[in-house]
Amino acid sequence: MAKQYDVLFRLLLLGDSGVGKTCLLCRFTDNEFHPSHISTIGVDFKMKTLVIDGIKVRIQIWDTAGQERYQTITKQYYRRAQGIFLVYDITSERSFQHIMKWASDVDEYAPEKVRKILVGNKSDEVDKRQVATEQGIKLAKAYGMDFFETSAFTNHNITETFTRLAEQVLAANKKDLDLLRMSVNDEINLAALEEEEGLCDSAAGDQGKGCWC
Amino acid sequence: MKSSRSAGASSPVNGKEDWDTRRKRKSADIAQALSATPVDVAALRRMAISEGGLLTDEIRCQVWPRLLNVPLSVLDQEPETVERENNKDYNQVLLDVQRSLRRFPPGMPDEQREGLQEELIDIILRVLKRNPQLHYYQGYHDIVVTFLLVLEERLATALVEKLSTHHLRDFMDPTMDNTKHILNYLMPIIDRVNPEVHDFMQQAEVGTVFALSWLITWFGHVLSDFRHVVRLYDFFLACHPLMPIYFAAVIVLYREEEVLECECDMAMVHHLLSQIPQDLPYETLISRAGDLFVQFPPSELAREAASHESMASSTFKDFDLASTQQRPDSVLRRRRRQKQAALESSAASSVVAQPSAARRFVRLAVMGLTVALGAAALAVVNTALEWAPKLDLFP
Repeated sequence: MAKQYDVLFRLLLLGDSGVGKTCLLCRFTDNEFHPSHISTIGVDFKMKTLVIDGIKVRIQIWDTAGQERYQTITKQYYRRAQGIFLVYDITSERSFQHIMKWASDVDEYAPEKVRKILVGNKSDEVDKRQVATEQGIKLAKAYGMDFFETSAFTNHNITETFTRLAEQVLAANKKDLDLLRMSVNDEINLAALEEEEGLCDSAAGDQGKGCWC
Repeated sequence: MKSSRSAGASSPVNGKEDWDTRRKRKSADIAQALSATPVDVAALRRMAISEGGLLTDEIRCQVWPRLLNVPLSVLDQEPETVERENNKDYNQVLLDVQRSLRRFPPGMPDEQREGLQEELIDIILRVLKRNPQLHYYQGYHDIVVTFLLVLEERLATALVEKLSTHHLRDFMDPTMDNTKHILNYLMPIIDRVNPEVHDFMQQAEVGTVFALSWLITWFGHVLSDFRHVVRLYDFFLACHPLMPIYFAAVIVLYREEEVLECECDMAMVHHLLSQIPQDLPYETLISRAGDLFVQFPPSELAREAASHESMASSTFKDFDLASTQQRPDSVLRRRRRQKQAALESSAASSVVAQPSAARRFVRLAVMGLTVALGAAALAVVNTALEWAPKLDLFP
C-alpha cells in the first residue's frame, strides 16, 4: 500500500487560551474561519500535505487546550513533536508575556532539537493591538526563532508560517532528506524514526542524537 | 392512524406495544412518583435511567432537583451578583462562553441567546465565588449551559452548585491529576469486555485523552443534538459519578470493528475515537453501560486504574464512601466472591497477568447479561445507587 507522502512529521500549536490556535489550524488545513469557534478541550490534530523541494511532506498538526490546568494533559504530546508554534494574540499583552512560560515548558518536555517558531495572531485587529511588532521580533531573536504576525481571519501569513516551520523541521533532518533524494522510491516516516531513535536514546544516552544533526 | 392502538393496550409487557403508549404510561408514573409523600426518589431515579429518560424538559425541571436533593426553596432566594472586575476566573469564563454559540438552539434569536450567555457567566462565577475550593476548567461551561437551557437561572445555579461539589468535584481540583486518574478507569473496563480492543489500543499508545472532553462535559461538548445531551444527563444524574466513564467505554466497544480496522497508530486511533458518531443508539448504550457498572463496579477496577499511574491516595474518598453504601445485592455479592477467589488464586501462583481465556469468558458473561437481563441489570444499578439521595452526607 503506497503512502501518499514521503515524510511525515508532527507539529504542535501552543499558547494561551483564545489566541486563535484552532482558527490558525482551520484556516491552514481547510481554508475556513469560524469566528465562533468552540474551545478546544484536550488535544486533537489535523493533517495537510505540503510539497517542499519536490518532497511530499505530510504534516500532522496537534492543537491543544490553552488553559493552564490542561498542561498536565498536553505536555505528554510535546515529546512527539518535531516543530512547535508558540502563539500569542497581538491584542493581549498577557498572552505575549506567557510565551516565556510556554517556551520554558517546551525546553523541559519537548525533544532537544525541536524547531520553534513565534506567531503573533490577530494582526487584523489593529485598533486593539497591545503588542508591537518590534516586541515580537525582539523576543523571537532572543530565542533564535523565526517570527510571523498572522491573521486567521484575513488569511494573512498563514501558509507562510506553517510552511516555514515545515521547512525548518526538514532542514533539521537534512541527512535523511538527502538519503531520500538518493532513493526516490523509499519512504521515510520521520515520526516513526524519531520514535525509534527515542528508544535508542533511552538505552544509549545522548549518542543517538548525532545521527540526526 | 395505525391499528396497533387496541392491540397495544392489551398486549403483554414484551416491548411490542408502541412507544407512544409506553411514553404516556411513563409520564403518568413520573407524575405519580412526584406527587407521592415523600416523593418517590427511587422511582424517579429508575425513570431517569430507563428507556427515554425523563421524556421532556418540563419533567426534567421537576425531577432533576429531586435527583440532586435540591430543595425548591432555593427559588425564593435572590441570587447575589458577582463582581466581574478583578475576578480571577472571569477572563477564561468569558472566552469559553463567547465560544459556546453552538450549544444554543439554532433558531434562538441573538438577543435571547446573549441574555442566556450573560446568565451563564453569572452562574459560573457565583458557584466559584461561593466555593473557593472549586477551580474552573474549560468544559465546565458546557455542563452549566445544559442546565441553563433546561431550568431557569436560580434552579440552574443550585443544581450546578450541588453537582460541582459532588459529581464534578474531582474535575475541579487545583490540578487535573484526579481527572487523569478517573480516565484511568476506561481501559480496564474495555479490557474486561473486549481484550482485543484493549490490546490494540495499548499497542497504538492512544491513551485516554480522546475521552477527556466526554468525561468532564458529560458529552455536552461533543454531541450536537441537545435531546441526546439531556437524555444522557438524566442517566448520569441518576447514577454513580463514574458512570460517564462506563458510557465512554461502551462507545469505544460499540465501535469495536472500526477501531480494529484503524491503522494501529496513536494519532489515527485518537482521531477516530475523538470523532464521536452522532447517530449512536443511546438507549442501548445506556443499558449496556448500566450492565457494565454492575458487572465491574468501580471498587473492583480501582486497583487497576491506580496502577496505570501514580496517584494521590486521597482521590475518590467520595466514591469509596459511595460504594460502601451500596446495598449488597446478589450480583455484587457474586462479583465480590469471584474477585476474592481470583485474588487468592493469583496470590498463590503469583501471576500478575490474567490468562486471556479467562477474560474472554468474562466477556461472554457480560454479553449474555446485556442481551438477556438488560432491564433487570438496570434495576440493580438503581438499587445500588441508594446512596445518592444522601449526597449531603459527603463533605
